[in-house]
Amino acid sequence: MDKVFIDGLSFAAPLYVMAMGCIFSQKSGVDNLAIEGFQGFGAFIGALVAFILMPIMGNGSQAVIYIAMLSAFIGGSIYACIHGVLCVKFRANQVISGVVVNILAVALTTFFTSAVNKAMLGQSSNKFILGIFERFDVPGLSQIPIIGAFFRSMYPFEWIIFVIAIVAWYVMYKTRFGMHLRACGENPQAVDAAGGNVTRTRFLSVMISGGLSGVGGICYAYSISANFSPSIYMGFGYLAIAAMIFGNWNILPTAAVCLFFGLAKSGGYQLCLNMGLPSNYSDLFMMIPYILTLLLLAFFSKKNHPPAAIGEPFDQSKR
Amino acid sequence: MKKVINKLASILDDKRWDSVSIPILSILLSFICISIILLVMGKDPLLAFKSFLQGSGFWPKEKYGGGNGMLTDLFSFLNILAPMILAALGFVVGFKAGFFNIGISGQMLSAGFLAAVIVGYSDLNAVIAKPLVIIIGALAGGLLGAFVGFLKHKFNIHEVVSTIMINYIISYLTGFFINGYYSDAITRSMKISGANARLTWTNVQIAGVKCNIPLGIVLAIAAAFVVKFIFDKTVFGFELKAVGSNMRCARYTGINVGRHIVISLTISGALAGLAGVTYYCGYLNTIVPRTLSSLGYDAIAVALLGNSSPIGAIFASFLITIFQTGSNYMSSTVGVAKEIASLITGILLLFSACGGYFRYLAHRRMQRIQDEWDIKDNPLRKIIADNSDERKEEHIHG
Repeated sequence: MDKVFIDGLSFAAPLYVMAMGCIFSQKSGVDNLAIEGFQGFGAFIGALVAFILMPIMGNGSQAVIYIAMLSAFIGGSIYACIHGVLCVKFRANQVISGVVVNILAVALTTFFTSAVNKAMLGQSSNKFILGIFERFDVPGLSQIPIIGAFFRSMYPFEWIIFVIAIVAWYVMYKTRFGMHLRACGENPQAVDAAGGNVTRTRFLSVMISGGLSGVGGICYAYSISANFSPSIYMGFGYLAIAAMIFGNWNILPTAAVCLFFGLAKSGGYQLCLNMGLPSNYSDLFMMIPYILTLLLLAFFSKKNHPPAAIGEPFDQSKR
Repeated sequence: MKKVINKLASILDDKRWDSVSIPILSILLSFICISIILLVMGKDPLLAFKSFLQGSGFWPKEKYGGGNGMLTDLFSFLNILAPMILAALGFVVGFKAGFFNIGISGQMLSAGFLAAVIVGYSDLNAVIAKPLVIIIGALAGGLLGAFVGFLKHKFNIHEVVSTIMINYIISYLTGFFINGYYSDAITRSMKISGANARLTWTNVQIAGVKCNIPLGIVLAIAAAFVVKFIFDKTVFGFELKAVGSNMRCARYTGINVGRHIVISLTISGALAGLAGVTYYCGYLNTIVPRTLSSLGYDAIAVALLGNSSPIGAIFASFLITIFQTGSNYMSSTVGVAKEIASLITGILLLFSACGGYFRYLAHRRMQRIQDEWDIKDNPLRKIIADNSDERKEEHIHG
């Protein structure tokens, strides 16, 4: 039972930070299917930095991981500029731009991972071997029965993401920038009339979106797979988009959705193990979170409302 | 230099040709970009492009293995081209009606799996088995598409979310059955289906070389023209486009929007299903469990590169598939990792996404030239223009 909570949380947290990235972009009126590409590229930059630093700072050093996370944030947000330029400046179709950015990310990262490996180690391999985060128990809280499992053998990134979530919520709902951002998604002309800069706000929010997704990507690279390889493009970015739509484009409900997702995923897996079924039955249990999501969506989707101006390039001359 | 740019702008701004000239400009620009990358890496771009053509059978190679020839390469190129065109068409139909069907991979997988299970292991006559495979493929994909449309219409579930969920579900579900019941002991993938059900004739001798002849390519080209006909010449196609461009407006004009949502996604799914059977029961003859083919996502790129028109999809598939099939041979002759093929795809897409911006730039430039001409020709306009300048200044100073 403990295992369900521990694994569930460690899957949900990176998913949540990606979903938050998606919220930032979509709330500002820029449709964002590029989360998958952002997280992969961010993770690539983070892994590259870690790969270069590891021989210098020692293999077991945990400091490398935090530097990698920071570089994943920066790398993701710089890569997001492509999406920003295409959508905000060039007024390209935002859905198309998202797909382009995804495909380009897969291509660039696979190509450069092989190239860097060849140049640095002299062997052709398409992955960077990374370490893994050290898990820890939160003293005190982990002793609470049942719920305490949430605080047992945690990855540090779960706490980092928790802090990011609070900051993101504050920025989105309590600051001037957040106000402008949300207004850009509903009625950009009004923001323009009130003296705000729609182009800059949208561009910034796409960059934030890329950065947050990059953090999500590097967390997956450091927890689930312990390396960076093209297998990072497993579709978790799309899953984050689904979580965001399910959470009705709001930061708090999306957290619940992601947690639900993580718990359903790890729960299904543990259920299969406990029932002592042959290993190929695990496939059937892995379907559970997706089927549940479809069912729940059927009940809750009616009153969903996306930001009004989403997908539309900003045109100053329109009303 | 200025003259050249003006000439270019006038070509790009021409309404009759801009659906051709702008993609060509994008493609040229991306070729230049790719050549620069190759030059930076110290490779010969011309040799690389030639190798891509050689690898996909459009240019003779220096030497061939026993029994192989240029036709072998050309037919294996057509073999992968067929599912690519069909999948891209599937996306086009959805996209024209305003839906973003990223469930193509899942629809392909389910169609291929069902066809292989129902027909692939039977000993039906090939004359019955092959059409049956095609029908099952279209039905399986179509039903899945209809389900997505139903969810969208009845419960307002965004098609991006539902197709992603269905992709995962299908991949696990087929994985379960393949691992449990149809697994090959050695390869761990699905047992190969019989030659009677396969949509590719293997090892046919043509002009002394062995070829795998795909039936799917005929199907794909025919499907492209059918889709074009539906959109250009029928009321139904017009209504679909109306739903795609403005759903509310379509509803006010009396179009039954719900029905059109379901039907368009059904057609989209059926085409994806056809792509699935030509891919899994034609090009390949097996299914690797729990893997969605990346072709379903590439097809989206192809459709967008082809300006989401059915005929454009054929040309775009051609271009992208040349790079993807030729990459192996190119990697052996030039010595660049074959992942560069997807990099090329990405760059091509990047420039084609900028197409609208190129059009806008050209239009603006032409308008400026027009304005200059007007002022030069017409003395009265010149006076007005000067006055308006003065007025502007007054406005600023005042």
